[in-house]
Amino acid sequence: MTRKVLIVPCSGIGKTYGTVARTGAYIVTEDLRPDTTQLVPLARVVLGDDEVRQTLAGAPAIAIDGCKLACAAKVVAESGGALAHALQVLDVFRKHRELKPAGIAELNEGGEKLAAALAGEVVTLIHDMEGQEDA
Amino acid sequence: MPELPKRKVGLVSCSGEEMAEGSVTRLATLKVLQSLRPQETVTICLPLFLAGGEGDRAFARFYPTIAIDGCEKRCAARGTEMYSSKPAAGIVVSELCPSAPGCLGTARHLNDAGMEVVTKVAEEIARHVDRLLGGTKSGRHGEPGDHSSAVQEKRASAATCSCGSGIPVKVLEIAERSVEVLALPLIFDMFRQSGKAPGAGTTAELMEIVRLYNGIPEEEQASWNEAIQREYAAYYAGEAR
Repeated sequence: MTRKVLIVPCSGIGKTYGTVARTGAYIVTEDLRPDTTQLVPLARVVLGDDEVRQTLAGAPAIAIDGCKLACAAKVVAESGGALAHALQVLDVFRKHRELKPAGIAELNEGGEKLAAALAGEVVTLIHDMEGQEDA
Repeated sequence: MPELPKRKVGLVSCSGEEMAEGSVTRLATLKVLQSLRPQETVTICLPLFLAGGEGDRAFARFYPTIAIDGCEKRCAARGTEMYSSKPAAGIVVSELCPSAPGCLGTARHLNDAGMEVVTKVAEEIARHVDRLLGGTKSGRHGEPGDHSSAVQEKRASAATCSCGSGIPVKVLEIAERSVEVLALPLIFDMFRQSGKAPGAGTTAELMEIVRLYNGIPEEEQASWNEAIQREYAAYYAGEAR
């Protein structure tokens, strides 16, 4: 896959799941797939920043949302981005109920592990996307 | 008796996920919401202006708002103005506390210098909050001030996030156009439960509170008065059935 996959986390400020979404995005873009992914700040997408719009137009995006309002997925779609996948932290939590997240400014251990699990799911999706493109 | 939300200050941070200054905006905003001015502030996620409903987009029309941005792109200030209303104040971290790239740590992990800037920015936000609420010390130590005797305070025990709650609005036909009247459903509820029947006196009282939340053009005062009186009469009759 030649194009980087865009990772767009929600900007959730008041809820733990928003922090999990953002932390998961950092794990993907900085630790697991730094060469094949790119973090896209949602605020710039909201503003309609030309550079970000061009970036969105040229690569598939994975949105990660912290709540059911799904701002990241909606904003990417409304901005003309190619939304390949839209993940909800709550869906990942349902699969890992033992990882109870807490904290907003700083996640507890459960939150950090949930973010890692989320990142793992994102990487699996990217792997599948790469497989489809290469096929 | 229903409670109208107290006049608070809205905080909108850019949360820029790609830079340390963006994390500073988010953490400074949280510090104000959670510890410096918990009773006087409320926040909303910037993307909700685009992804949310009319109630969310009414945020900056309802609350005097402080935009907290990480860099000169001013996404929070511009986005708030574009989708809601012009912020009452703006803070840009890179201007308030200029620093060389990397000095504050990373977006993911701020270092000690980054956390110091968080404190400075939070104090600056609190200063603006006090100014916007009339220069009182009302927010300090969680002591509420009396900004309007007609509006009851809705206390918050923790950081208040407005995501999804929105501001209740009612669309009325006023002066031959559709107008979103902020907080009107709550105001009507409050008056009906107080046993205030429709009439000229009640309309005058209603208008006093409606004005707190809505900018009414001078030339439309009579039209608003007429619309509010008509709508309250219809609402009151409907509730009485």
